[in-house]
Parts: sequence; C-alpha cells; structure tokens
Amino acid sequence: MVKATRGTLVKCDASIKAMLLDIDSKNGNDFIIEDLDEEHILVKETKIAQLKQRLQSMMKERLKEPESSESEA
Amino acid sequence: MSASSSQALDYLELLPRQTHTKLYEQPSTVLAIFRCMLPHIAKTIVMGMLYMPTPFAAVDLEAWFRPDGKKEREKALAVLEQLHIVASQQDDKRQLSYTLYKGFARSLRQALEGSGTHRSFGVPSSIPDPNRVTIPFLEEYARSQWENILFFMVGSTVGLANANQLGNAVGEGTKALLKAGDFIRISNGRVSITRAGFTFVLQETNAQVWSLLIVYLKHAPQLGMSETDVLSFLFMLGSLELGQDYTTSTLSPTQLQMLEDLSAFGIVYRSSKDARTFYPTRLAVTLTSDTGALSTSDPLKSSPVGSSRPNANKGFIIVETNYRLYAYTSSLLQIAVLSLFTKLTTRFPNLVSGKLTKESTTRAVKLGISSTQIVAYLTAHAHPQMQKTQPFLPPTVTDQIRLWEYEGERVETTTGFLMKEFNSETEYRDVLSYAESLGVLQWKNDSKRLFFVDRVEQISLYLQKKKSRV
Repeated sequence: MVKATRGTLVKCDASIKAMLLDIDSKNGNDFIIEDLDEEHILVKETKIAQLKQRLQSMMKERLKEPESSESEA
Repeated sequence: MSASSSQALDYLELLPRQTHTKLYEQPSTVLAIFRCMLPHIAKTIVMGMLYMPTPFAAVDLEAWFRPDGKKEREKALAVLEQLHIVASQQDDKRQLSYTLYKGFARSLRQALEGSGTHRSFGVPSSIPDPNRVTIPFLEEYARSQWENILFFMVGSTVGLANANQLGNAVGEGTKALLKAGDFIRISNGRVSITRAGFTFVLQETNAQVWSLLIVYLKHAPQLGMSETDVLSFLFMLGSLELGQDYTTSTLSPTQLQMLEDLSAFGIVYRSSKDARTFYPTRLAVTLTSDTGALSTSDPLKSSPVGSSRPNANKGFIIVETNYRLYAYTSSLLQIAVLSLFTKLTTRFPNLVSGKLTKESTTRAVKLGISSTQIVAYLTAHAHPQMQKTQPFLPPTVTDQIRLWEYEGERVETTTGFLMKEFNSETEYRDVLSYAESLGVLQWKNDSKRLFFVDRVEQISLYLQKKKSRV
C-alpha cells in the first residue's frame, strides 16, 4: 500500500546535511523524519523553522567571517 | 494563462464540488473561468465537448493527441476534473468516457450565445448619472487607492517619516485584511511587512489584486458573506466595461456589502456610500483578462497603476557593474521598495542613488525577499539605456546577488508529501509519471522507490481510482 508522509523536503550540500544530522542527533532525533540521500532529508513540517535557526547559529559559531569593510564613496 | 490567474486557479481548485456547482450557475463566472483559468488544451477539450449530445469516449479523446502529448492531456484533464467541469465515468463494458457537468455546459452555452435572462454580466444604469466620472478619473482613483495600500505596507517598514500619515488613508478594514493575509504584522502600533507581504509587493498589479482578493474570499464566511456570492461578483466585475456606470439594484446584499470594501481597494468607484450606481476601475476589468493591468495601445489606458507599474519602455533603474544603482523616480513607493534591498545614499528631486551591498542584500533575504525577486524587479524596471544590452543587468551583479543570498540561506525547503512503499516497480513508475505530468514532482529516488510531491490531492484521487479499477 502506498503511503504519503507529510513533511518538508530539505535540499542542501552534503556538508550542511552533516550539520543538520548532528543537530538532530543531539536533540533526541526530534527533527528529521527520514534521511533520503546525500543531499536530501525529510523534516517535520512544524520543526523546520527551529531547525533552520539552529543551523544558522551553528554556522555562526563555526565559520568566523571577517567583518566586511564597506568603503563608501 | 498568466501568473496572476494561476493563483486564482489554485484557490478555485481547492473548493468543494457544491461550491463549484453553485458558481457555475452564473454564465459570467463560467466564461471567466473558461477564458482565463483553464490551460489551452483544456479549453480545446471543453469546446470540443460543449455541443456533444453523448458522453465522449476516452479512446476518442486520446485520438486527438499525439502519443507524446500524454503529459499535457493528463494535466488538462486533471484540472478539468478538479474544477468539476468534466466528469469521467465507466460504462458496463469498462469503457471510460467523459461528460461535461450539465450546469457548466448550460452556462457556457448561454454566455457564448447570449441567451437566457441571467443578467450576470452586470446591468448598466438606465438613469443618467449627474456626477458622471471620466476614465482618466477612474484610472487616477484606482492608482492612488492601490498605491496607498502598497505604500502603507512598505513605507512603514523602511521607516519613511510620513508613512503613518499615509497609513491613515488606508481603511481599517483593509488593514485588518492585510493582517489576516499575513502580509503585515502590527506590534505596538508599528507596522512591519512579512515575507508574504514582500512577495505581494513585488508582484505585478494584477497578481496583487488577486492575492488580496483571495484573502478576502477566505475571510468572507467570517463576515457573514457567502463565498460563492463573492466569487461570482468578482468574475462579473471582470466582464464589465471601463467608464460605464452599473446599477446596484440587481446586486445581492452580500454584493452590496462587498462594493464598499472593493471601493476601498480602488477596484470599484462609487460617488457616495448610498449611490445607486458604481463604476468598475481598471483593476476590476482586468481581473479576468490575460493582458494584465498594463495593456492595450490606447494611450489613456496604458498607464493603469501609473508610477508603480511603468511598462517596459518606461523603466527607470540603472545598475552599473560596480553595484551602483541610480533610479530616476520621485515616487515614494518605488523608493521604499528599492530601499528594501539597496543601500540608498542620496536623493535628488528626480533621482535616488545608492549601492547594492552584501549587507543590504542579506538584510532583504532575511526579511524574506529572494534574490530572484530582486533581480526580477530590477530587470522589469530597467532603464531604456540598460535595455540596449542583453541581459539588461550586468551579469556580475546578478550573480553576486545570488551568491550573497546563497551565503545566508544554505538550505532549500519544500513542504509537501513523501510517497513511499510502492508494491511494485510498475506501480511506482506509473504514479511517478502521473505526478510528473501534473508538475508536482519535486524529488525522486528510483532505487529506493521514493518520491516527493508538493501537492497530494490529485495523486490520492488517482490512487483511489486505480484501486477501484483493479
């Protein structure tokens, strides 16, 4: 029998996916429904905003960006 | 089918059958849906079937198409069935055939032949109006009302000083509607625009009108209005003539109530609240036309919502390869929109200038504007000088805007349904190709027999039918 599962398809790089899996495993697998392939995962629709936010803060921690020096003329 | 009417189509498709049946009682509605909602192939099918006395065998219909047109055929039929225009049935010999729903066929015939006494195309007022208004007046009225709404949304977000003052020109009802549609958020008396609101502002006028009206439709039941009444009135408006006054005496109470709201949007004009006539404006008469709000060669008609929608040869934006941007405009609305994603530095009487920076772009992305939208806006309003080159915008700039967006946004998300656990490869292939032909397929994995769709209604219908056939 064919099944339809409601959720949000997330497409990202392999590196980003690794980070998402990391967030998921550290939070009791509360976000991800299914790991689809190297670049796709299925996430609970209600959790996607929270997941994105955690990814943002994780990236901020790990990748220190040089402050952009805007030269205005 | 234009982008704007496809929005309305999406909405229509989700209505239940009873609503469709009621809607199709009005010839004007049927004609409007037929003319601008249906894909071309669906139109051809409906036209072919309109005067057929007997059901149309599926085999015969298939004979109309080349074998490689299967995808288009299924898509057209899916739309027609979803809208309850065409019904499919099986006879005793298990032969599939199609018929048009009676109500739809009757109304479409009436619309085409001009028969019947339905009065659904509006009744022109028989008493001459002492305060008759001209077409240029109506254009101006529609433009200022609509721009006020847009400026109310954008202006207060970017913090222009006189935004509040302009906000007062926007009625409470309209504000509530914008809020209900999640286009704006109001906190502590301060208005800020949302992601949906940005998409709304950057759309073309016709699509904007439909977006707002769809929110209106969704909230109609709460205001004690019947959805069908509201919809048929909108479709009727689309078939009226600009500059003509129409009597209100044939309208239902719901529609009278609507007139008030619609005149706040600038879609219709009434000289006073209890006037016995109303005038449709450009926004109304283009509701159900493909041409959009900027159409026709008539110079009077070519400036619909004037400064916010300059047509292609009236573009005003120059972008240089060093990311500097110059915009020849004095319209506050345009300046406000530009300042959503540009770092504006100087303003002259007829010119603003600034720069596209990483900061300004990422800020816009955070607010929910996509790089595609920014590029589309800049392209659509490129200055004639810019239009001499192909593409209009310097590729370095467009690429950079995309890269800036990509830096902030590392994941791409689509909401929908994952289809899994297919019994056999054939079943998987079959449903997959159906999903593909509907254009809802987002991702697939053949080895795991999985695929992802952004809409599931038609697929589940298809699966049910399949099951009943076996």
